[in-house]
Amino acid sequence: MFYSILYPNKETADSAVYTSTECLTDLGLTSVFDYIFKSKIAYQVEPFYFTTLTDPGSVKYRQAVLQDLENPVFNGAVTGFSALIYAQDAALKSVRNELESNERWRNNYLTKGQLLQAAENYCAAIDGFSQQLDKLDFKSEGLSSFRDYLAAYVKSDAFAGLISHAKRIRAGLSEVEYSMYIKDWTIRVRKYDGEPDYSNDIEGLFDKFRIGDGEKTFRKLSEDPVDIKIETKVLELVAGIYKELFSDLDNFCVKYYGFVDEPLYRFSREIQFYLAWLELIAPLREYGLPFCYPELAVAQDDVFSREGFDVALAYKRRGDGIVTNDFELTSPEHMIVLTGPNQGGKTTFTRAFGQMHYLAALGLSVPGRSASMFLFDKILTHFGREEDLNAQSGQLKSDLRRLKAIFDTATDKSVVLINEIFSSTTISDAVLLGKKMIDGLIRLNCHGIVVTFLDELAVSDPAIVSMMSLVNPDEPGKRTFKIVRKPPDGLAYAIYIASRHGLTYDQLHERLIGGEAAV
Amino acid sequence: MNVNLMFRDRNVEFGVLGTFGKELLLADLELPRILKAMSAGDETIYSACETALFQPLTDIARIKYRQDILADARRSPEVVRALYSVVVDATTSQNHSFRAFSTTASSSLYRSALDFLSDFINGLFALRQIADKSGKGFTSEGLRNLFDLFQREMDDAYFKKVREKLRELQDAGDETYFSAKLGHYLQGVNYVFRKTDRHAKRAWRTAASYTIPDKEEQTGQRDFSSRSDRALNEVANTLAAAAKSLDSFYTLLRNELAFYIGCLNLEDALAAENKPVCMPELLPMPGFERYGRQLYDVSLVLTKKTTVVAGDFDSHGRPLMIITGANQGGKSTFLRSIGQAQIMAQAGMIVGGEVCRFPIRSGLFTHFKREEDSRMKSGKLDEELTRLARALEFIKPGAVVMFNESFASTNEREGSEILRQITRAFREIGVEIFSVTHLYAYSESYMSNPETLYLRAQRLESGERTFLIEEGLPQVTAYGEDLYNEIFGEKA
Repeated sequence: MFYSILYPNKETADSAVYTSTECLTDLGLTSVFDYIFKSKIAYQVEPFYFTTLTDPGSVKYRQAVLQDLENPVFNGAVTGFSALIYAQDAALKSVRNELESNERWRNNYLTKGQLLQAAENYCAAIDGFSQQLDKLDFKSEGLSSFRDYLAAYVKSDAFAGLISHAKRIRAGLSEVEYSMYIKDWTIRVRKYDGEPDYSNDIEGLFDKFRIGDGEKTFRKLSEDPVDIKIETKVLELVAGIYKELFSDLDNFCVKYYGFVDEPLYRFSREIQFYLAWLELIAPLREYGLPFCYPELAVAQDDVFSREGFDVALAYKRRGDGIVTNDFELTSPEHMIVLTGPNQGGKTTFTRAFGQMHYLAALGLSVPGRSASMFLFDKILTHFGREEDLNAQSGQLKSDLRRLKAIFDTATDKSVVLINEIFSSTTISDAVLLGKKMIDGLIRLNCHGIVVTFLDELAVSDPAIVSMMSLVNPDEPGKRTFKIVRKPPDGLAYAIYIASRHGLTYDQLHERLIGGEAAV
Repeated sequence: MNVNLMFRDRNVEFGVLGTFGKELLLADLELPRILKAMSAGDETIYSACETALFQPLTDIARIKYRQDILADARRSPEVVRALYSVVVDATTSQNHSFRAFSTTASSSLYRSALDFLSDFINGLFALRQIADKSGKGFTSEGLRNLFDLFQREMDDAYFKKVREKLRELQDAGDETYFSAKLGHYLQGVNYVFRKTDRHAKRAWRTAASYTIPDKEEQTGQRDFSSRSDRALNEVANTLAAAAKSLDSFYTLLRNELAFYIGCLNLEDALAAENKPVCMPELLPMPGFERYGRQLYDVSLVLTKKTTVVAGDFDSHGRPLMIITGANQGGKSTFLRSIGQAQIMAQAGMIVGGEVCRFPIRSGLFTHFKREEDSRMKSGKLDEELTRLARALEFIKPGAVVMFNESFASTNEREGSEILRQITRAFREIGVEIFSVTHLYAYSESYMSNPETLYLRAQRLESGERTFLIEEGLPQVTAYGEDLYNEIFGEKA
């Protein structure tokens, strides 16, 4: 039995708990999520993005749903359906507010008309979607079981009753035609009696001159009433002419006071979690940045990413100048010590590492060509800031406190990201403290990255991988934002990488000067 | 209702430019000055003629159709100009303010649409009168049909019916009776303004009613006037659409007449400079026979600054014209006189000269040296190649391409080689080529090629240039020295 598109069953849904969102600012995900929350404000998807999963089954459940939604046909159908159902639920809620209002006049036929309209839209949305079900050959468990649920709902007596009653009333309403006559402060209403109109044969006289399609409407007026109260009064006069029809409408409103099916409503809201993500990454993919569905790693498994990147930066820069990077931790490796010049992309790399883990645990696709991510219990971050370099002496103390807190809460299932810590003290102090920190992290056996300006921290240990941000050797001022696996010294490797991109001096000379000379 | 003055079987697609490289042609052939003379200050004429120039005809019968109408117009210019002025008066007296339609209240939309309609109807009546009075003297199929159309569709019975209807509408609209249906949420929609009679008025006395309470008169006022506005809106829209229909007819008639008025204006302007015009004879596309007597650069004449030399030209059926000779010797002017005549002839226009017998071309492409371009050499060549590459997908068999000092931006050997390869490829698909060039290596390589016609800027024994182009082989040196001497006042 279908319960939720976010969880395989009610038990997993009920046991899900909010994650600490503290790390999101350091990971740079706040801005990305804020965009999502704004664009999906009506759906209130926030809680979904703040609840990471810890069991692989639930993650796989979501990955499969998201993969299904990458199919444009599936996505289009589901997007439309969700928006329609959700809108009708909102409309119904507002109608109910009106009908229950203390201002008695709000309980009127215009409000009831809105309830009828919402019900009709609801039926049409469900009918339209169920017509497509044959085409929607969902692969995921989540969407398949939703489809089965909906197919059964469409066949239910409750739904059939709603649809036929609404149709009967609308048929009656469409027959209504009334005349109005305004004089002074009085409006009179009676049944329309076949009086001719003035537009007759105007077209016949002048149409022959028309070239092409020609504009037909110069002035389109809103068909919404100017004053609701007066429209309500007019409608009461009309109801007095068509008594039976309007009392049928009264009955309809009592009977279908809450016509929206709860699981369908829940689906419409929850599916937006996936749609929002796909909408967000669609432009990034167009810029050529890849996304993939990560494998899920546990304690001793390998963790890796190919062509990963910082999704927040890519979003902000619209994909411009985004450099992708790889990493790999093969057991027993579990910590990266990242050194290299400032502004070389180290923070970005570290963020990307954390982001990929966080997104993977939401069951979403992650930046990169392929990836394997560790299902963590928590992500712990400590990002020092560059401007804190000469900060007050209290800095070292607070660094150490934060580190203590991390050591107290981290487990071997945690992801720990530490960025430029101990920068406020002397080098010898920093090396001493840093080495202790590294020892601690090795013992903790957690996954993560330590970013440091101290080459000494890239100690030789089976648990440690040393990586470095690169500069262009011919132009040391120029950053490449490439992060590679290498001990923290020398530049020969950098030249090799640069040559693979055709960016050495010889190559550039040949291509630019030589090319011109050939002309 | 179509007027079919530009095509026997369809309306002109006004403002649609069928030709690739409009901007290049305008600049290279100096066409704006010609269009300006044609328009004599009337923007409609300008764009009608521009449209005709850039939707060239490739079918001789279609060209003949326009030429016949133009011949009629040249015989009785006063009648054609009278038609045009009726159309202009009817459309401009309204100030063409259809845009205001969308902003006014329904009642003023209603009134102004009625005003539009009666002015338009008066104009139609004037057109019919011209047809009655002067239509007989015309022989072209296009103008004959137009006058027939006026007499058939706008007879006295039609004017009687229209005027009655307009009167009825003038008198309506004082009292507001209207019907409505129920919308999505039961709001009143589809308001329709209704005629009412005595019987109906009696029925209203017993109808249910609602009266605005004393304190709510302000909202009541707003609501009621909005209802009246909506009631009138449909019929007002219908009237406006009718006015728009008539306007579209006038616009079409104006656009199509404008072309012929433009030709008359051009002929007048050239006559004032004592320059003859002629109706060109078009030959079928595949041939390369091309003949002109006393052809001249129309645009240059219109500058009124200089005496313009007219010259004769005969291709002798050859498709490759290599033109060499002194700078400032009239080579560009020569290309322009040919190019202008080509594009004007294929629009159905008169051309500048005494006799013009030109083949139909599938397209006219100019590749002139950009004088203003002073960037570095490689950039210039790049620009030249880019410009030509863009035209490539449009150059088809039967086209004519005019090179004017192309690829002079690189050295002679390379420029020659590029141009030779291009020339060869174009010739293979049957493209006619005019090539003004200083690239000697290029020009001399066709010496033994029988399909080549060598032309040269004439230069007298005295060294004086006549600005005439005559047949002649390329010579190794150009006459830059002459020019230098002339400007610096030195003797060689």
